[in-house]
Amino acid sequence: MSRSSRRLVSFLAAATVVSTVAACGGGNNDDGGGGGGGENEASDIGVTEDSIKLGAHYPLTGVAAPGYSEIPTGVQAYFDWVNENGGVNGRQIEYIYRDDAYNPTNTTQVVNQLVLEDEVFAIVGGLGTPTHSAVLDFLNSEGVPDLFVSSGSLLWGEDPETNPYTFGWQTDYESEGKIIGEYIAEEFPDAKVGLFLQDDDFGEDGEAGIREYIDDQIVAAVRYTPGNTNVAPQISELQAAGADFVVGFNVPSYTALSQLTALQLGYQPEQWFYSNVGSDPALVGSLLARFSQGAVSDASLLDGALTTGYLPTVDQTDNPWIQQFQEIWEASGQEGELTNYRVYGMSQAYTTVQALQAAGQNPTRDGIVEAIETAGADWEGPVFAPYRYSADSHMGTSGMSIERIVGNGSEEVQPVRVTDIGNAKIEEFDGEPASPPQNGIPDEESAVD
Amino acid sequence: MQQFINITLSGLVEGMIYAAFALALVLIWRSTRIVNFAQGAMAAATAFIALALIDAGQSYWVALIVALVSGFVLGAIVERVIIRPVEGGPELNAVIVTLGLFVAIQALIAIVFGSAFQSFPTPFGVRGFEVGDTTIALTPTSLYIIGSVLITMALLVALFRFTRVGLAMRASAFGQEVARLLGVRVGRMLTLGWALAAVVGSLSGLLIAGGEFIYPAYMDSLIVFGFVAAVLGGLDSPVGAIVGGLLLGLALSYVSGYLPRGSALVNVAALVILMVVLLVRPGGLFASSVARRA
Repeated sequence: MSRSSRRLVSFLAAATVVSTVAACGGGNNDDGGGGGGGENEASDIGVTEDSIKLGAHYPLTGVAAPGYSEIPTGVQAYFDWVNENGGVNGRQIEYIYRDDAYNPTNTTQVVNQLVLEDEVFAIVGGLGTPTHSAVLDFLNSEGVPDLFVSSGSLLWGEDPETNPYTFGWQTDYESEGKIIGEYIAEEFPDAKVGLFLQDDDFGEDGEAGIREYIDDQIVAAVRYTPGNTNVAPQISELQAAGADFVVGFNVPSYTALSQLTALQLGYQPEQWFYSNVGSDPALVGSLLARFSQGAVSDASLLDGALTTGYLPTVDQTDNPWIQQFQEIWEASGQEGELTNYRVYGMSQAYTTVQALQAAGQNPTRDGIVEAIETAGADWEGPVFAPYRYSADSHMGTSGMSIERIVGNGSEEVQPVRVTDIGNAKIEEFDGEPASPPQNGIPDEESAVD
Repeated sequence: MQQFINITLSGLVEGMIYAAFALALVLIWRSTRIVNFAQGAMAAATAFIALALIDAGQSYWVALIVALVSGFVLGAIVERVIIRPVEGGPELNAVIVTLGLFVAIQALIAIVFGSAFQSFPTPFGVRGFEVGDTTIALTPTSLYIIGSVLITMALLVALFRFTRVGLAMRASAFGQEVARLLGVRVGRMLTLGWALAAVVGSLSGLLIAGGEFIYPAYMDSLIVFGFVAAVLGGLDSPVGAIVGGLLLGLALSYVSGYLPRGSALVNVAALVILMVVLLVRPGGLFASSVARRA
């Protein structure tokens, strides 16, 4: 652990140096020639002839750090890979990510820093609903592209008129809730369902989706506040209500806390179902690993729990995307193994490169928004279902499979279904899974030239 | 009924944890008349030392003892090196220095041990006891916590009430000059007070961590609740700290369990409880004498 933190410190130091150097060199951006067709120009803030600067905020410390802090290392590995292979249109991607500790006050501060001091072209993959909400207005009023927010809240995509620069990426929580609700209604019509919800948009959106299908099956809905680690009162309430099927819309550390508390209380519902966010078995297993007397050992507590998926996972070693990401991760030389969080980061970075390519040879902030709106719905990648990007919707991928956790992996129990927010129907997805392009780098045509 | 019992029991155990931390605050207040905001960070540092030892294959008990000893040393060093130079000045100076220390130690922990979320082992089980065919929210680990806190409280009461050292410590805290004239080595007593408080703080840090998760800031919410518990009890009385901790633990557990969106109201409830108690009894529930101020 201490090693990785030292890496982090040295990385942050390096990132600061990079930004300082870039700021010093900021004066000689124009290449004098006015740039005829085919020449790289410093076409917008954060873009030079040979580089493009992207920023992000993640919880690298604190309650939300487990797992999530690994995401930017995956993003970094993928951008390094792209840079090794010539960058995007000859531009090297400079990636700066800063720690907000999952605290909205810090998010405001570090995003200000990224936008005003580091002068990034765009924010990419900023993580968290409460955190990113704090900078939503700022980024949109400054006209900074706010791409592929790492959260399934509806805020990022449902209203492009208000937030024209912001795009979601992962399946939103309401669609996820709907797919879970429909599955329970079909497969467990007699279950008495209890909901374990994070007390913010994350839990609310998920609950709204689930209630569209099984409102009458829900016997209790309890809410925890992130940071308050005593969830015994909440789990007791589920137990008292006789819930035998618990659905959690919670972050991974609260998956561990809910399992631990259920163990204390001797509460054994017949089925646990954790939404995608909270269900990484390797992470939850490592959190629970140290407890005494074999009462809890590795991921066994989560064995048999259900979850959802919209990306391939590291246990699927025969998946071509995972094989490609494995190669990229090893090439990056960073410490640690490829994890699902790193796969998430790499997948997001893959979409980012698609967007940069589609924004043309000399990308502008407005140009990249237009590019995603016009071309984004056709992009293929590691995600299972297509994106919903258009001028009317900035919602990300639209579908999810349902999986059962077995050991540190999972097996599919229901193939991918797609839906949308509101009263959109749920449909089976009939598309073919995409396979990664040669050397793992997309090749999208410009959508703006 | 089972829900009520479980919410009550979990509140009592949480309360004992607040009480443990409040005890450390009371101890340092009694022996130095300083409120130490760095207490939580110091405790966290020793918990990380313990975890490093456990990871290296040592038993929990060896790690516990090393953590307590390092707490003692850390407390003494902090007092000698950092607090002593500002001790002569206005009281507020020392308090502000402890605030700075709090941030600094937390950052140091992150640099040395990393900022990952990690589970902390407990020597006892984490499954609730079974009564008849129901399981109650009382685990062997909870009993260990309750027992340790009660024993620590008893030792502290004994120290202050029945030993010469305790008397000398109290004397040094109340009137340095008078104590010095009477032959008490005030400097040493202050160092000892900090060291002992750090030991108790370290114990509370390890008790809180056992069977839960730790990261550099894991003591933060407990610092707040620990302060509330200590102030409820009068800041001066070990028994008061325990009672204050238990009352707070129970009240917060009921708020969390029975009010709609209760989990979000816990912090507000703590403030309300504090306000009410201070309005009704400004010196706290167990203040030994209301007018006494150093």
